[in-house]
Amino acid sequence: MKYLGWDELLPGAILFSFDEELDKDPAEILPEDRPYAETNSHEAYVGDWRVLKPVYNRDLCIDCQFCWVYCPDVSIISRDKKMIGVDYDHCKGCGVCVEVCPTNPKSLLMFEERIDNDEALAQWPEKQ
Amino acid sequence: MAEKMQLNEVEVWDGNMSASQALRQAQIDVVAAYPITPSTPVVENYGNFLANGYIDGEFIMVESEHAAMSGCVGAAAAGGRVATATSSQGFALMVEVLYQASGMRLPIVLAVVNRALAAPLNVNGDHSDMYLGRDSGWVQLDAFNSQQAYDLTLMAFRIGEDYNVRLPVMVHQDGFITSHTAQNVNPLSDDEAYEFIGDYKKVNPMLDLAKPVTYGVQTEEDWHFEHKARQHHDLMTKIFGVTQDVFDAFEEKTGRKYNLVEEYFMDDAEVAIVALGSTVETAEMVARKMREEGIKAGIVAPRMIRPWPHEQIKKALSKVKAIACLDRSSPNGALGMLYNEVTASLYQGDNRPIISNYIYGLGGRDFTIEHITDIFKELDANAKEGKLTTPLQQFIGLRGPKLSFY
Amino acid sequence: MLEIRWHSRAGQGAVTGAKGLADVVARTGKYVQAFAFYGSAKRGAPMTAYNRVDEEEILIHEKFMRPDYVLVIDPALVFVADVTAHEKDSTKYIITTHLSKEELIESQPKLKGKEVYIVDCMQISLDTIGRAIPNTPMLGALMKVSGMFDLEYFQNAMKSVLSKFPQKIIDANMAAIERAYNSVK
Repeated sequence: MKYLGWDELLPGAILFSFDEELDKDPAEILPEDRPYAETNSHEAYVGDWRVLKPVYNRDLCIDCQFCWVYCPDVSIISRDKKMIGVDYDHCKGCGVCVEVCPTNPKSLLMFEERIDNDEALAQWPEKQ
Repeated sequence: MAEKMQLNEVEVWDGNMSASQALRQAQIDVVAAYPITPSTPVVENYGNFLANGYIDGEFIMVESEHAAMSGCVGAAAAGGRVATATSSQGFALMVEVLYQASGMRLPIVLAVVNRALAAPLNVNGDHSDMYLGRDSGWVQLDAFNSQQAYDLTLMAFRIGEDYNVRLPVMVHQDGFITSHTAQNVNPLSDDEAYEFIGDYKKVNPMLDLAKPVTYGVQTEEDWHFEHKARQHHDLMTKIFGVTQDVFDAFEEKTGRKYNLVEEYFMDDAEVAIVALGSTVETAEMVARKMREEGIKAGIVAPRMIRPWPHEQIKKALSKVKAIACLDRSSPNGALGMLYNEVTASLYQGDNRPIISNYIYGLGGRDFTIEHITDIFKELDANAKEGKLTTPLQQFIGLRGPKLSFY
Repeated sequence: MLEIRWHSRAGQGAVTGAKGLADVVARTGKYVQAFAFYGSAKRGAPMTAYNRVDEEEILIHEKFMRPDYVLVIDPALVFVADVTAHEKDSTKYIITTHLSKEELIESQPKLKGKEVYIVDCMQISLDTIGRAIPNTPMLGALMKVSGMFDLEYFQNAMKSVLSKFPQKIIDANMAAIERAYNSVK
């Protein structure tokens, strides 16, 4: 991001979420379609902050949305109440989604970054 | 639709009533308040007007002054006209949020009825709370009587809400001496007053869903300095002009003239008192008397304390030989604020008068004609001698051995 | 400038009386001030209230005053408060008491040789208003002693000052003013 001089700043240190004025409630626009401003945290890549990553197993998921509700960084991607996956650009690997997942075995598990997601799915544990 | 109140051409209002009538006429969207002596009646009267149908806006009762100002910040950021009132300890508790309000450039109006700060506890008037607010980034206006408390409260909305300003404004009046003294006040009618202020113009409101905005961002060493500089720049360059324009428009409407720095008998004054609040009027009366006795006395009174009207102060005092700066707040280990500010401003000019500092009236201690007469006489001696004939800083009206420094 | 000091107890209506007087006087085009000293003003605590009246705008904000009139609206205060503080030779006293003027002055030698008027505002307010609010009767007495306004003009002016109150209360106050006007001596 370009550093601005004092004379280029908006009074009040305010930040607009989007580059342009919306013609409807932003909640009705899918995140990928929103015109995020450069200063919006959506535009910041923090994927490399993780040590472990959550891997999502569609076959076991019951779409309860617990992970979506509890994720502190809005990094669970869900459409029409169906889980799709994890936003790895913003997920910081806290593991809360795994903690709250109610299925047996869990539909989300933490793996090391270096392990490929297909490889992770192949190692998925059995029901206990 | 709020009911209109029929007002007489001359009302007998104390300063609190004047402030609350001005707030009523401004048709504020949200008042969040936690009443405290001596500003309690501002809020009390406002609540009464609201209950009787004279106000359409919301009144939010909160649990502290911190919450009161926080409520004001929220409502102002959301896009409403907002005001509240406080004094003393309440003001002190508000301070943290005062900086938030100005940093977010929210044009909140705060009626400050000046009162001493504890300890020891005291409900009476001095300027400790006013001085406490002077680095908070607010515009600070000072009323010397009840009429001015009304006028300046009305004008505060128009000044703060100006597109080029967008800053919160405090209107100060002296606790009890002004706030509880009923005097003749000429109010505007409700329609005239509202027309003078105008409808509230929203700027970047948080509740505009088409253009969502974040207030209260975090900035560290990479951005903070620029934001603070931007605010200081606007305080230094935009307020004086806008305020004088509002003062002029008000004069056109009412015939009542206001200036950034008020001057009394300064055309040919040789000695001058610089003071704030109700003291200015008493001093004006004494100056008249001094002139009968051959002392060319004058008064300079900053109508605006922040931003500090450096140029106007320099000009107003460009010809006098001796000046007394009267501070009604304990400087607690320094020379008084007015002394420091006035001296700094004059240091940039050609005039080098003898400047002394008096600390007076703390905790509401009466400041009498006799005290002011003594000060003018000491100034006259300084002017004649061409040097300080007294200590630099003196306490006046104090019991016990004479207290003075330097 | 005319200056008046009220001696009262918090809750007896001295501030309201001073403001009411200011209101009436302001309607005649004069400039007024009404103020009081508040400490920890609890009901019953002795307090003072003040009026200033002038033809020109009043600039003075000192609390110090050499009163032209001293109005004492509580009967005990003449014994315990410094009612003659900062008096002038010409200061006039209007004092609420059930005593005769002679008895009062004998018990309070500080009043000897002063222009003293007495009126029983407490009894008048109890009889007319039904409560110990001796402020409006004192105003009636002041009108008589000072000749500031005639009774009828003052009563009419007070009616509009009190206009937010029920008619019964206004009537009682009018009766109180009139009785004090006629009985002060």
